[in-house]
Amino acid sequence: MRPRLPRCLPTIAVLLMWLAQAQGQAAPNGGDFSTNIVPEAKVPTGVILVKGAWSSASDSVTPVPEDGNVSNNVFTNKYFGLSYPLPKDWIEKFKGPPPSDSGRYVLAQVRPADGYKGSKGSILITADDLFFTPLPASNTLQLINYTKDNLQADYKLELPPTETKIAGHPFEFFAYWSPVAELHWYVLATQIRCHAVQFILTSSDTKLLQSLVLTMNKMELPEEASLFGGTGGSPDPVCIKDYAAGQNVLARVEPVFSEHRFNTVPVRIIIDKTGRVKHIHFLSAFPEQAKAITDALKQWKFKPYAINRQPMEVETGLVFGRARPSLRQAVAAGSVE
Amino acid sequence: MIRIATLVSALALALLLVAGTVFAQTDPGVQSGNRGTGATIIVQDPNGFLPFFTDGQNRFQTVESVSGNPAGNNGLGPRFNSISCSSCHAQPAVGGTGAAVNPQASFTSNGTAPDSTTPYFITANGPTREARFPFFFNSNGTPNFNSPNGGVEDLFTVTGRSDAGTCNIPQPSFNTAAAYNNIIFRIPTPTFGAGLIENLDDSTLLANNNANLNNGFGISGTLNHNGNDGTVTRFGWKAQNKSLHIFAGEAYNVEMGISNELFPQDRPLPGEDGGGGSGLTGLPSNCLNLSGTGYPEDTSNPTLTPNSAVLDDVSAFANFMRFLAPPPTGPVTLNGQPVSASTIATGASLFGSIGCATCHNPSPGKTQVSNFVPALSNATVNAFSDIEIHFMGTGLVDNVSQGGAGGDQFRTAPLWGLGQRIFLLHDGRTTNLINAIADHESNGSEANTVINNFFNLSTTQQQEILDFLRSL
Repeated sequence: MRPRLPRCLPTIAVLLMWLAQAQGQAAPNGGDFSTNIVPEAKVPTGVILVKGAWSSASDSVTPVPEDGNVSNNVFTNKYFGLSYPLPKDWIEKFKGPPPSDSGRYVLAQVRPADGYKGSKGSILITADDLFFTPLPASNTLQLINYTKDNLQADYKLELPPTETKIAGHPFEFFAYWSPVAELHWYVLATQIRCHAVQFILTSSDTKLLQSLVLTMNKMELPEEASLFGGTGGSPDPVCIKDYAAGQNVLARVEPVFSEHRFNTVPVRIIIDKTGRVKHIHFLSAFPEQAKAITDALKQWKFKPYAINRQPMEVETGLVFGRARPSLRQAVAAGSVE
Repeated sequence: MIRIATLVSALALALLLVAGTVFAQTDPGVQSGNRGTGATIIVQDPNGFLPFFTDGQNRFQTVESVSGNPAGNNGLGPRFNSISCSSCHAQPAVGGTGAAVNPQASFTSNGTAPDSTTPYFITANGPTREARFPFFFNSNGTPNFNSPNGGVEDLFTVTGRSDAGTCNIPQPSFNTAAAYNNIIFRIPTPTFGAGLIENLDDSTLLANNNANLNNGFGISGTLNHNGNDGTVTRFGWKAQNKSLHIFAGEAYNVEMGISNELFPQDRPLPGEDGGGGSGLTGLPSNCLNLSGTGYPEDTSNPTLTPNSAVLDDVSAFANFMRFLAPPPTGPVTLNGQPVSASTIATGASLFGSIGCATCHNPSPGKTQVSNFVPALSNATVNAFSDIEIHFMGTGLVDNVSQGGAGGDQFRTAPLWGLGQRIFLLHDGRTTNLINAIADHESNGSEANTVINNFFNLSTTQQQEILDFLRSL
């Protein structure tokens, strides 16, 4: 039997406290002085509720790069058509950050589970959007070569960029290490939908790294994955850098922004076979920016794209807001197309 | 019995091993000794700025009153967090961060804020803090998640002071905010070397931002911008302030309640000024113009001499910070034993190799030509920061937006001077470097791969990094 009196006591105590405060103090003249506590309305700890510029999309059905996840020990990313069974007892302990305004994605960060008996290490899976990266690279090979050519002094090259095959697809493989940290980095990269997708394996144990490379052969990759191609195509849209420019744009309406911002807003759009915007993906935008740009882009009309008179959907990129300065220098000619 | 004794021994050994694992590497802790921190950067002084540094240094330490101070240091309140710049910016020298003994803990007992209650999060040996409520409150007292707040909620009021007239205003309900978990904290940022950071050209930071993208750690980062002219902002925990003048003027107004030429009105709390739909219209009339001198309470002083005295306090504060030298590096003692220079050098190299230096960049570049003093011109800025804001994830999120920085984005804290800082991270939650490093890792953080690298190093290597950090 539950004692009734004790259950009433807290309520009475709160009431008495409230009465005492009401009589004993000057009436609050600020905005945040309430004493009416409803504990279930707590601000949750460790939840990002107030976001800055963040990723978003015009619909929740079309896959976007940041939507990959680890389930049943398999990393799957529908946007990239990628499926990677993780090494046994390796997990994604923490999710990565949102996409950056420079076009970088952290797709997954994988490491041994706590208590793992073997060597330590990590697998970092990233993607750099080749439409937006400020690095002087138009394709994955150039990006890897740039990384190799600009290694910090702490690192020594172990293997220059070398073409290899992973799961039957062309990858660029290069390796470097830090003598002082005794850590080795194996970088394996390919290109999918105009992104440089990189698997960066790190450990002090090179045998572990070699075994991790072997596990990558169990991956499933889209047909297009390669070093220079990787430009989409059926069933995915063809990705073409700067398609939304010049004579390809038949009708254009500028977004009307309600606030003055100075961030870079990289936007990927999919243009349908009739030349209308079918899907909009904001890598990084404030909500009011995303709305204004969405309202505008829905009114844009493009020249339909076709290959051999076959209409194709096109995926391309646009930058609103402040354009980032580019590090692009004299890079060997090469088109993302 | 023998079996039990054996079991006990085995358990003790196991516990020792566990303890050994947890504490195998040690934060050397705050380094004692005078490294010369707090000196001026001025060496050559062709334009005569040294007296302005000295004058600013004095004003930085001046204790402010509400009214009636014949020295003219009036205008405190009606709300405030402290009563002088140096009371918060004290460690290890004037201009630094919070000291070991928090002066805020004495304000209710020493007559500074006689009718206030010391907030629960202020303790004698805890961090010097300011508080913010991430969200406004609904009329029933619950946080309104659709109404972000994030402004500073001053801890104390002048109510009850003999120099504050009849002003009678309550403190914010910190306990209520805590009950709803609707409160976050910030500690003072040190200002040594701030003049160098101020004098980095935007293009230098942008170039560094792009160059940093060439990393194998998944790190990006971006710069915060001034809402008016779009230039890069750089001071404060979220890089929300453009210049040392703005930094000083805002702090004078927000932390001490002193109106000035940059912020000319007394500042109500965010909810006291209609924020969050409170319907309130500001401070009560008997809490305005408490100094009796009109506004702003801090002005230029055209008739005073010498010429440094003509400046308003805010300008003097800015000059002091601008001409503060970067904190010198120094020797490190661990468990009473000196750490060798080679160990510290190895730690520095490890710090770069595992990726820490991608954000905590030893030098984001050189300064532009300075019109103040030669020491600020073409100088390498060894700030160990890229001055960028980065996503730091659910472990550090405070749900306060400032400028373009969201709730989990923070400026890379400059690490110069770290060896003599007591309280770490934006809210001073820890005094232990290892905890501070570990807290960089959480869902959504750009630092996850780097922190994993750190904890994958050998115990000796981790120790070398910790030793290096305490040499800064």
